[in-house]
Amino acid sequence: MKLFEYQAKELFEENQIPVPRRRLIREESGLQQALDEIGFPCVIKAQILEGGRGKAGLIQLAASGEEAHAKTKQIFASPKKVSKVLIEEAVHIAKELYLSITLDPVAGSSVIMACAEGGVDIEEIARSTPDKIIRESVDIARGLSPFQARNLMYDLGLDGPIVSQGSKLLLNLYGLFQRYDCELVEINPLMITSKGNLVAADGKISLDDNSLFRHERFELTREYFDSDAQYEASQEGIPYLEFDGDIGLMCAGAGLTNTVFDLIHYYGGTVSNYLEFGGPNYHKAVQAMTIMMKSNPKVILIVTFGTIARADVMAQGLVDAVKLLKPEIPIVAAIRGTGEEEAHRLLRSIGLQSLDETEEAVKQAIALAGGVGVK
Amino acid sequence: MSIILNSATRVLVQGITGKEGRFWTKHMKDYGTHVVAGVTPGKEGETVEGVPVFHTVRRAAASFRIDASLLFVPPRFAKDALFEALDAGIKKVVILCEGIPLHDTLQMRKAALEEGAMVIGSNTSGIISTGKAMMGFFPYWLDRVYRPGRIGIMTRSGSLTNEVTAEVVKAGFGASSLIGIGGDPVPFTRFAEVLPLFQADPDTDAVVIIGELGGTMEEEVAEAIERKVFTKPLVAFLGGRTAPKGKKMGHAGAIITAGKGTVEDKIAALTKAGALVADRPSQVGRLLQSVLQAVE
Repeated sequence: MKLFEYQAKELFEENQIPVPRRRLIREESGLQQALDEIGFPCVIKAQILEGGRGKAGLIQLAASGEEAHAKTKQIFASPKKVSKVLIEEAVHIAKELYLSITLDPVAGSSVIMACAEGGVDIEEIARSTPDKIIRESVDIARGLSPFQARNLMYDLGLDGPIVSQGSKLLLNLYGLFQRYDCELVEINPLMITSKGNLVAADGKISLDDNSLFRHERFELTREYFDSDAQYEASQEGIPYLEFDGDIGLMCAGAGLTNTVFDLIHYYGGTVSNYLEFGGPNYHKAVQAMTIMMKSNPKVILIVTFGTIARADVMAQGLVDAVKLLKPEIPIVAAIRGTGEEEAHRLLRSIGLQSLDETEEAVKQAIALAGGVGVK
Repeated sequence: MSIILNSATRVLVQGITGKEGRFWTKHMKDYGTHVVAGVTPGKEGETVEGVPVFHTVRRAAASFRIDASLLFVPPRFAKDALFEALDAGIKKVVILCEGIPLHDTLQMRKAALEEGAMVIGSNTSGIISTGKAMMGFFPYWLDRVYRPGRIGIMTRSGSLTNEVTAEVVKAGFGASSLIGIGGDPVPFTRFAEVLPLFQADPDTDAVVIIGELGGTMEEEVAEAIERKVFTKPLVAFLGGRTAPKGKKMGHAGAIITAGKGTVEDKIAALTKAGALVADRPSQVGRLLQSVLQAVE
């Protein structure tokens, strides 16, 4: 779960990481009060979860009330459907740094990355001049030691009192990373102000969805998703993605889904959306098909080879879904595994062809979608 | 022979009195698995399919020698359950559940390494030594998937395993042992850590790995072949060639995995090392036939 910038900064503040003074507004009418509190110059920042806000004109500097009103209006009117804007004091910058903590799944540790050049495209730096990125691996059980934080601050080229300030900030950030089961916390830029203080000018936090049961204050509501279908899928606990193509893909198991996705492309088709209804979701055919229909695929392709997700249960669900929802588009099904004889019988009982081979099902779906180039 | 597990392995089931625990304990016993005890706090004195239940692993281990434990517990209790098994000195553990918090997983893997324990999972169907024993949930009654034979199989995906293994069987082969490494971002045991066991197993002639995008486990297999740690024929199928690049981890994640983890990279590394890589599941059987006589 990615948090909005304003939420990240709330967590920073609670964990003694300095952030600029700021007010969150949900409509333009709240602006004047925010400006009265923050003063000028101020920064107006759209609260959306996408990156590249600066380039898209969704972060603007304002020196006067008039300018602030005009720019706020413009940001609220953006096609990105901005529903929240952060009004923040503009900080006098002497230097910008980059700082992040993430998990390294291969090493099985957490890893801190820092760079003396912040505020820029850090991925580009990683590609062109990887030596500029300082990495410090942290034992997940032992946690971050103060000496590691000091090492990192000196490696960043800092000196004097700001080293202890930076070390403390990093230790606090690491505490937050651990306490909230973060996949990522990132401060970019971490600013050194003209007065020699560190301030987190922006913040990104991504929480591990599997740990949300431990963090009740964060709930995945509609605003964290791009579409209704994605939100509804998440509420049902169903992994779901959307694309631009023709075939709606329902599979049980991520590995099989990936492979069928590959086969569709191999045989010249395209995918409109992809929904994984294996595991605990295999009896949710009605909900799954309702979600599938939302992005208007030309054909629905169902491929499963069930282990605990029994073929007959999935087929029965599918039969119920078809009877209830009466989809007007063709359905191609290859449902195999435990109880497959019964699954075949059920599917045939409502006039569906019940296929036994994945590749055959893929080719048929592409043909029905009006696809090309069956190899 | 088989690896990790055979019909003499004494198995403990943690979470045996739950619905899944009961159901699969019955199937494991039917298949020949030597299930000696189960654990559910508060349920000591009960039996499940004739298997005695204890409050704690320590109590179970005081009554029976236990070689391996299988965890049928929800993800939020997995860390405690694994630590309990390790504390009782159990050196082989299979964790089935999906969705263990990542910070927990990293602590668990570290603890397992320190104890010298082999932990298989998570997010897996488990392990099966065909015709002998299994720990996990496998529809072993699907004869066109779980046929005994001389091919070692390692997989990151349960659903894809059936698809690919059916092709192995169709080509005239069967499995010696099949290990579900698991589909979570951090598997406790990696492909390359299992390979030496298959290398040493006289009843495994070749290995099939079923991989996918992400991580570096397939690249590590390629290294193991190049370093001659593994010298038997190896066939790989990898899903996720055309998957759109995920951005879940943001910048820092992209930097950590930069230049690694795509199926293209994995195929290149495996091919260079001399492994055979199938384009589609249906080619796996043919590639096996090209390196082995289908005599099974």
